[in-house]
Amino acid sequence: MSDTQLPRYQVFLQEKPGLPHQDVGSVHAPDPEMALLNARDVFVRRPECAGLWVVPAEAIFSRTRQELEASPEFQPDESMGAGPPSSRAEKETYYVTCKPKPAGTQTLIGEVQAASPVEALKQALEQFSSTPAPFTWWVFPARLVSSSDPAEADSLFDPALDKPFRLSTDFNTLTRMRQIKDSSQ
Amino acid sequence: MDREVKSALADKLLAMADDELILGHRDSEWCGRAPLLEEDIAFANLALDEIGHASLWYALLAELLGEDGQTYPDRMVYRRDASDFRSAQLVELPNGDWAFSMLRQYLFDSFESRHLQAISGSRYQPMADVAAKVAKEERYHLRHTSAWLRRLGLGTEESNRRLQDALDQLWPYTGQLFLHSGRPEILAAAGYSTSPVALFSGWSDQVTRHLQESGLRLPEPAHLPASPARDQHTATLKIMVADLQSVVRQEEEAVW
Amino acid sequence: MYRTTIEKVDPAEESEQLRDFEDRIARGEKIEPGDWMPGEYRRQLLRMISQHAHSEIVGMLPEGAWITRAPSLRRKLILLAKVQDEAGHGQYLYHAAETLGASREEMLEALLDGRAKYSSIFNYPTLTWADVGVIGYLVDFAAILNQTMLARCSYGPYARAMVRICAEENFHKKQGQDIVIRLATGTPRQKAMVQDAINRWWWPTLMMFGPHDSDSPNTPILVRWGIKTRTNDELRQTFIDQIVPELHTLGLSLPDPALVYAEATGHWLTGEINWEEFWRVVKGNGPCNRERMEARRTAHADGAWVREALAAYARLQANGK
Repeated sequence: MSDTQLPRYQVFLQEKPGLPHQDVGSVHAPDPEMALLNARDVFVRRPECAGLWVVPAEAIFSRTRQELEASPEFQPDESMGAGPPSSRAEKETYYVTCKPKPAGTQTLIGEVQAASPVEALKQALEQFSSTPAPFTWWVFPARLVSSSDPAEADSLFDPALDKPFRLSTDFNTLTRMRQIKDSSQ
Repeated sequence: MDREVKSALADKLLAMADDELILGHRDSEWCGRAPLLEEDIAFANLALDEIGHASLWYALLAELLGEDGQTYPDRMVYRRDASDFRSAQLVELPNGDWAFSMLRQYLFDSFESRHLQAISGSRYQPMADVAAKVAKEERYHLRHTSAWLRRLGLGTEESNRRLQDALDQLWPYTGQLFLHSGRPEILAAAGYSTSPVALFSGWSDQVTRHLQESGLRLPEPAHLPASPARDQHTATLKIMVADLQSVVRQEEEAVW
Repeated sequence: MYRTTIEKVDPAEESEQLRDFEDRIARGEKIEPGDWMPGEYRRQLLRMISQHAHSEIVGMLPEGAWITRAPSLRRKLILLAKVQDEAGHGQYLYHAAETLGASREEMLEALLDGRAKYSSIFNYPTLTWADVGVIGYLVDFAAILNQTMLARCSYGPYARAMVRICAEENFHKKQGQDIVIRLATGTPRQKAMVQDAINRWWWPTLMMFGPHDSDSPNTPILVRWGIKTRTNDELRQTFIDQIVPELHTLGLSLPDPALVYAEATGHWLTGEINWEEFWRVVKGNGPCNRERMEARRTAHADGAWVREALAAYARLQANGK
C-alpha cells in the first residue's frame, strides 16, 4: 500500500430490503471497516439504501460476454492476488452477479459453491445462464464480503431520510420564477 | 412549566445548540483540506450533521420560549454577540492537526452519545424526541472517530505521538462539556434531565478504555476537571463568530 | 480486478474488432471493463473522465470557503450538502477512470504536479456570497447539460457515474437559482451584489463548453464512438437560450453589449468569446490556479503521516491474523 494508493473495495448497495445488491462503484480504504464507513458517506447521501457490502476489488473475478466468446476455456487472472492458496481444495460460497441488459449494472443473482474463482464462474454459467446471455459476470467469495449490520441501519441509513434539502424537490424556484414573471407583466 | 425549570432548561438547550454550531463550524473548515479525499466527505458529513443538530436545538428553544421557530434560530446564530454564546471551549479550539481534530470530535461524540441516551427518557417529550433522532447520527460519528483513534494511536510512532499530544492538550477541556446549565439539580428534580455530571464516571470509563486500547495514556487520573462556567470563552470564539456573521452583518434588513 | 489489455494486435484482426466495437455502440450496447476497445477510445475517455474528476475535487474549494459565512442555517446545510456531493462525484469519477487501468495515485499526482487539466471555471475566485448562488445557477446548469449528454455515453462505468451525478446535480442548480432569485429581488445592495457576480461569471461559464466546434479536433471521433452526442456549440446555445430570458425576468443584465435575440432562429446571439483568456486560464495562469493547487498540495503533504499510519495499522491487522 503506497501513500495515496489505498486498496480498492467494490461497493454493492441494496436499495430496499428484499431487493438484490447492486454494484454502485468503489471506494479506497485501508481496511474493511473504513471501507464500509467510506461507502456509506460516498454512496448513501440520499434515502435509497437498506444494506451495503464492500469487497476487496482484487477478489472479484470477472468475464464479459465478449471475453467468454473469445476464450470459453478461461484461466484465472495473474492479477488476482487475494484468495486462498491453490492447495486449499474446500468449497466455499461465491456470490454471483451479472449485468443482464445493455444499461444497468452488476446485480446479485445467486450463489454457488466452488473451490476457486474459475470453478465458481463455470458453475455460475451452468446454473444461471439465460438467453440472451448476460453481458458481464462477476464472482467473489462470500467470506471476503464485509456487510453493514441490519441492527445498525438506523445510524447508517436513516439519517439520509432527514435531509430533504439535498433533493431538488425541496426548492420552489419554478413557482417563484412564474410569480416574478407574472408580476412584471 | 415552573419559571425556574424553564430558565434552567433554556440554558441547557442553548448550551447544546451552541456546542453543535461551533463544532460544526470547526468541522467544516476541513472541507477540501483533509488528508484523504474520503475524509473530505466524512468531515463534511460530520459538519452537516452537527449544524443540523444545532438547528433542531435552537428550534426547540424557540418553542420553549414562545418565539417564532422560523426566525429565532437564525437570530440566535447571526445576531448574538460572541460573549453571549454558551459553547464549551473544547469545541471552540482551532482545528490543529488531524489527530487533534479527530480526538476532539471523539471526546465530544462520546459524551454526547451518552448524554443523548440519558435525555431520550426525559419527561419533556419534545426534548426526548429530538434526542432520539440526534442520537442515531451521533452513534455513527462515534463509530467513525473511534475507528480513527485506533488507527492513529496504533499506527506509527508519529501518529501516536501526535495523538498523545492532542490528548494532553484536550483533556483539561472535557469537564466543561458536563456543565450545561447553572442549576442542573432543578432539571433533575423535574425529571427533565439527568445531571450531566452523573454521566461522568461511565463516560470516563468508556473513554479511558478506548484510549488505552489505542495506545494512549490519560494525562492524569480520570476525574472531572474543574471548569470555568459556560460564559468563559477562548479568544478564538470572537474571531469565529465575526466570520460566521460577516455576510449577515453587512445588511440589517436583508433576508438571505 | 481490471485487466488492462494492451496487447499487440494484427491490423486485420484489429479492424474487424473495431468494426464489431462500432457495431455494438451503434446497437446501444455499453462497453464494459474487459471488453476490447481501441486505444484511442481508452485515451480519450481517460482524459475526459480524469479531468472531470479533478474538476469536482478542485471545485470544492471556491464554494467550501463560504460554508462558515453562509448567511442562514438552511443555506449552511445546503452548501455543506453540495460540497459533500462534489467530493462524492469526484470519487465516482475516479472509480470510472480506474476501470480503464489508471491508478488514483497517478491521477492525483498528475493533478498536484500541475500536469493534469481540470475545468478552468474553477480557477476564478468567489468574491462574495452572490458568487455561491451564481456558481450553482449558471456553472452547475452548464455542467448538467454536459452531464445529461454523457449519461448516454457508450462506456458503462462512465455512463452509470453520470446517471448518479445527474440525479444529484439538479439540486445544485436549484439551490443556486434560489439564492440568485432571493438576491435579485432583495435589497439594492443584494441586487448589486448578484449583478456583479453575473458580470464576472458569465463569460467563463460560456467558455466551460469548450472551444467552438470549428476549433475542436476531438469532437468527430467522440461523436462516432458514442462519447459525445452533442457538440460544444450546440450545448452552449441551449444554455444561453434558457438562461438569458430567466436572468432578464429577474431584472439582471448580461455583460455583453452585443447580446441580441434573433427572431428568425429563436436563438440569443452573444458577442465574441475572448478565447485568449480561456487558453491563458487553461494553461494555468488564471487568478486562482496557483492558489487552489497550493491548497491541495499542502493538504496532501500535511496528510502524509496520516496515510502512513493507516497503512501501518492495516499491516498490523494483517500480520496479527
